[in-house]
Amino acid sequence: MADLIQLLTNGLALGSVYALAAIGFVIVYSATGVVNFAAGQFVMLGTFAGVAMLLNAGLPMPVGYAAALIAMALFGALFYLVVYLPLRTSPVVTVIIGTVAIGITLQNAALLTFGSWPFRLPSPFEGMMIEVAGAVVSVHALAVVATTAVMIFLLWLLLHRTAIGIAMRAVAQDVKAARLMGLRVQWLLAFSWILGAVLAGVAGLMLGPMWFADVNMGDPIALKAFAATVIGGFGSLPGAIAGGLFVGLAEVLGASYISSAYKDLIAFGIMILFLLVRPQGIFGEPIQDRG
Amino acid sequence: MTINRRTILSLAAGTALGAAIRPAFAAGEPISIGAVIPTTGPMSLSGKQYFNTLTMAEEDINKAGGINGRPVKFVIQDAGSSNSTAVSAFMKLIQETKPPFAFLTSYSTQNLATAPEVVKAKIPVMYAGGADAVAESSNGWMFRIRPTDSLAARGMAQFVKTLKATKPGILYIQNDFGQGGAQAAAKLLEANGTAPVGMEAYGQNDKDFSAQILRLRQKGADVILTFVYPADGALLLRQIKALGLKTPIVASSASFLPAALQLLSPADLENVWGVIDTFVDASVGGRMTDFTTRYKAKFGQDGDAYGLAYYDGALLLAEGLKKVGTDPEKLRDFIASQKSWEGIGQTFSFDDKGNGVPGVVVVKAKPGTKTIELVERIRPS
Repeated sequence: MADLIQLLTNGLALGSVYALAAIGFVIVYSATGVVNFAAGQFVMLGTFAGVAMLLNAGLPMPVGYAAALIAMALFGALFYLVVYLPLRTSPVVTVIIGTVAIGITLQNAALLTFGSWPFRLPSPFEGMMIEVAGAVVSVHALAVVATTAVMIFLLWLLLHRTAIGIAMRAVAQDVKAARLMGLRVQWLLAFSWILGAVLAGVAGLMLGPMWFADVNMGDPIALKAFAATVIGGFGSLPGAIAGGLFVGLAEVLGASYISSAYKDLIAFGIMILFLLVRPQGIFGEPIQDRG
Repeated sequence: MTINRRTILSLAAGTALGAAIRPAFAAGEPISIGAVIPTTGPMSLSGKQYFNTLTMAEEDINKAGGINGRPVKFVIQDAGSSNSTAVSAFMKLIQETKPPFAFLTSYSTQNLATAPEVVKAKIPVMYAGGADAVAESSNGWMFRIRPTDSLAARGMAQFVKTLKATKPGILYIQNDFGQGGAQAAAKLLEANGTAPVGMEAYGQNDKDFSAQILRLRQKGADVILTFVYPADGALLLRQIKALGLKTPIVASSASFLPAALQLLSPADLENVWGVIDTFVDASVGGRMTDFTTRYKAKFGQDGDAYGLAYYDGALLLAEGLKKVGTDPEKLRDFIASQKSWEGIGQTFSFDDKGNGVPGVVVVKAKPGTKTIELVERIRPS
């Protein structure tokens, strides 16, 4: 029982990070139609924003976290201006290739700036453990699950209870109609990129102390977040959350109860199964119904 | 400023004096040596070390007069983090630079992929991947400057006996290096009458090892052998401690590289032994002190055993170039004939498969610190 609690906590913490990265994917995809293949590097950049503010600049934690997230918001705006805006009239595939190229560029820019050695990003809960029914559970892992839940709630409030959120949803449904209704579509698209970058930043800051800050950490996150998005349903926020948690739990429980050697096969096998049997995922709308 | 005859004479005298007292820098047509090194991607973590030490070796060789008066020049190509990139980088070197010798990476998978091209190119190479299979396909042209994985596994299995453990568990990275090392260790442990109670794998991109650690605990492992890369080796040790395990750990060399150690606390290193290539520490004295001090001063980091292996390799190559010239076959024969060449980190003795390192060492952190000390040297028969 103790081992199961241990595994569930670790799986949920891992799944929460995948969920946040997947939400970043979904927000950008819903608003712009672009599958952002640099999403993993966005998370890596979030971690390194933390390294720059907390380790390099030596800022106190609350100030450092805020500064890192502001830096990520600025990065999101810059990405919109430099990558998305010039390519917005190009075919979607061009934009997608653009995101791949930018992802590689970001990774190598981080390598040149920070070097190849990983960093140990401190946690506000450094070394804190609690015992639950015989299982030793890291407080940081619990904080990750709680923070993700709070972020999801805030995101729901933003999208359903604020004018800007409702306008974003309108743009996601139909850009032309939104423009005809007088909505400032370009500003809303920019805000989507900013929001995606900030969410990736939160995921990165939470991941840093769990893993290490490593310039190569983006690719595995992107792959898992992509699997989470497919399983949950492309374009669906509840789907991204469910998919992220599912992949995190499948990874940890699969390794423990089936085989550690084939645990990735389990997560990606399920993704392939969804693509074959239910391509719209758990919560996604049938593709032919999208307007 | 007015230039008169006295000024010109003073300048001429100064220049002549400068030339007379400066070290014997090499001049003339440089000898190009190829080096395929991962300078980008995940493998650059180790690659950067031997990129640095080869740069350092180039400077040192040239400052000491080069190769009979000619400077050496290391032409470096990025091996990236894939086999195909490593092969392309090697082929580019062969086609464009046409070197008489090349260094390959420290990754077995890349070494294995490049081996057929080395045989076709017919130039000797030094490499540092540990998989035994590489030597089988080298056809006499490839020389290994680090211990083989089976040698490291023998050292680990032997040390398990020292610890008097009877139920070893093995945790390994799922690639040629990890699988090869784990299987070799399992066979040796079985032969010693202590067959592993469990063998768990993890993927190269994995970051959570709780499932594997808990499975080994469930199976009652009283020692865990790990075959890991630096960053995941450090993360694994942290997670083992976070899960409250007190089981002794015998880790492969990457866990004790400076890149991994800087991520760990003294508590993470409690009850952890490393079976590593060589003890790279200023306290060793002599040429080792000089190397570690100069490396740290030049690059701002501690040097590691991988970097030192390439530095030693470059010095051995320089000696070969001085004695037999740039003919690839003569160079190959020169390296193959070395049976007790004294490097800084190793005494190289090449066997008929080109394996040059006959032993490993066991190290451990002093209690409550991250200061590494030598426990014993193992030279399996």
